[in-house]
Amino acid sequence: MTEKSDVSSPDSDPRPMLFNTGYGTENTPLDFAFKIIEEARPPKARSGKRLTVCAAAEIPVGGRRIVTDGPLSIGVFNINGTFYAVRNVCPHYGAPLCQGTIHGTHRPSDVHEFDPGLQGRILRCPWHGWEFDIITGKGCFDEKTKVATYPVETDESGDLVILL
Amino acid sequence: MPVEPILPVIDCDIHPSPSKDLPLEPFIPEDFREALRQGMGSNKSHAYANPFGVTRRDVNCHDPVKVAADHLDRYNIAYGILQPPGMQVSIIHNIDVANAMAVAWNDWQINTWLAADKRYRGSVCCNMNDPPAAAKEIRRAGKHPQMVQISVTTEALNLYGRRNYFPVYEACQEMGLVFCMHVGGEGSYNSSTPIGHPSTYFEWHTGVPVTCMSHLISIVAEGVFEKFPKLNVMFTEGGVGWFPHVMWRMDKNFKALRATTPWLKRLPSEYMIDHVRFTTQPMEETTPENQLNMLTMIHADKTLCFSTDFPHWDFDAPDVILPRKIPPELKKRILYENAAELYRLPSIEQATETLRASQPVAQPM
Repeated sequence: MTEKSDVSSPDSDPRPMLFNTGYGTENTPLDFAFKIIEEARPPKARSGKRLTVCAAAEIPVGGRRIVTDGPLSIGVFNINGTFYAVRNVCPHYGAPLCQGTIHGTHRPSDVHEFDPGLQGRILRCPWHGWEFDIITGKGCFDEKTKVATYPVETDESGDLVILL
Repeated sequence: MPVEPILPVIDCDIHPSPSKDLPLEPFIPEDFREALRQGMGSNKSHAYANPFGVTRRDVNCHDPVKVAADHLDRYNIAYGILQPPGMQVSIIHNIDVANAMAVAWNDWQINTWLAADKRYRGSVCCNMNDPPAAAKEIRRAGKHPQMVQISVTTEALNLYGRRNYFPVYEACQEMGLVFCMHVGGEGSYNSSTPIGHPSTYFEWHTGVPVTCMSHLISIVAEGVFEKFPKLNVMFTEGGVGWFPHVMWRMDKNFKALRATTPWLKRLPSEYMIDHVRFTTQPMEETTPENQLNMLTMIHADKTLCFSTDFPHWDFDAPDVILPRKIPPELKKRILYENAAELYRLPSIEQATETLRASQPVAQPM
């Protein structure tokens, strides 16, 4: 996809054919987005502020809880016993993203092949259906779009705490 | 006197037809002449008739030498891409006869028009209803150095993104030929609109870009440009005003529906701008302001290639059809450079030199 062509034409004209030369990166935008998703780097706390959610036991595997702190709304998701926090605002229209359905998706694949994966990690916005990865906040459809994510801890009393 | 600047033109849509002097019959493979005598070359056709005829009253396109003088010379056309009637072989009912007629049209083109003037470039005709045979013919006729693309109608038995057509794209990519879809034939297999049959040629002709849109969406969604990254496609005579709509709507839907076509690694519009080209004629004629906005919206600096549709009734001339206030660089892209890059023809500077040498008294555009 990104290599330069030296395809020889029947009349061996030296001009290159037109084709995708990529975006100056080794990956096409979708490959790049999924690289971020697959790496699943944990988010970092920014402000040092802590927001208590509820007892960890109250959110079953596959479940969620939406908490607010003034204007801030965050969804906390339990994926296979680990908790992840996602800002409850879709970067598209500001919809309550964390009310969306959770499912899997297809990773970028070869033509007419399907590579299903990321089951239980993909959050689909309830308004326009845009897909986001819960663990990284990365949108599944382009290079840049992302929703904020936060680290989640369980404190000594068993409560979930979002590190803002 | 200062030398007037010459702006060379590539005309991407010239329609030659056979004549008494340059008949098709001698090029029909011998084994199929009896089948044709038995009526096996039938096709249903769309049967919509232009009440004034399709060809201009004042010209015809029978004689390559006369067309070179009256059309190529007149408009500084450095290269003219031929779109022979054989683009329609796929609507012939009989698969074998259709394959044979593709061979006939290609050999006719090579031995008459392409031989007559080196400014002509050809379109390989092939039968899309027999993709392996089409691929074989593309590899045979496509070897001719003046063949630059294959040409088929937008009327088809299936959407062109479907994988049964992939052998055709594989052959095009291998031979360095553009896959050109020329509007026409709509109504031969299906009704020309998905809703039914329009009442008039007027409605039929206005509505045919619907098939271009359908094929474009299919080709992008089915991953043709992922599978064949060196393939470029051309839409001829389908207009361009609908192109922004398709790009923007498909990009919008991609955000939610990408997972249904996971082989797409970029926005649909990005594949289109890299791989899809359009000819101008019949250019939508609106206000100059609207036209200039439209050229921006369709990325005309990359995607748009001039065409006349000579000698048909809705012909566009290069000195009239573009808005007067078009930036000169954009005008060069549309009239020459986009097509030169697509078809790998000589640079605009080389073409200018050639024109200057051959036509010392050429009229300025």
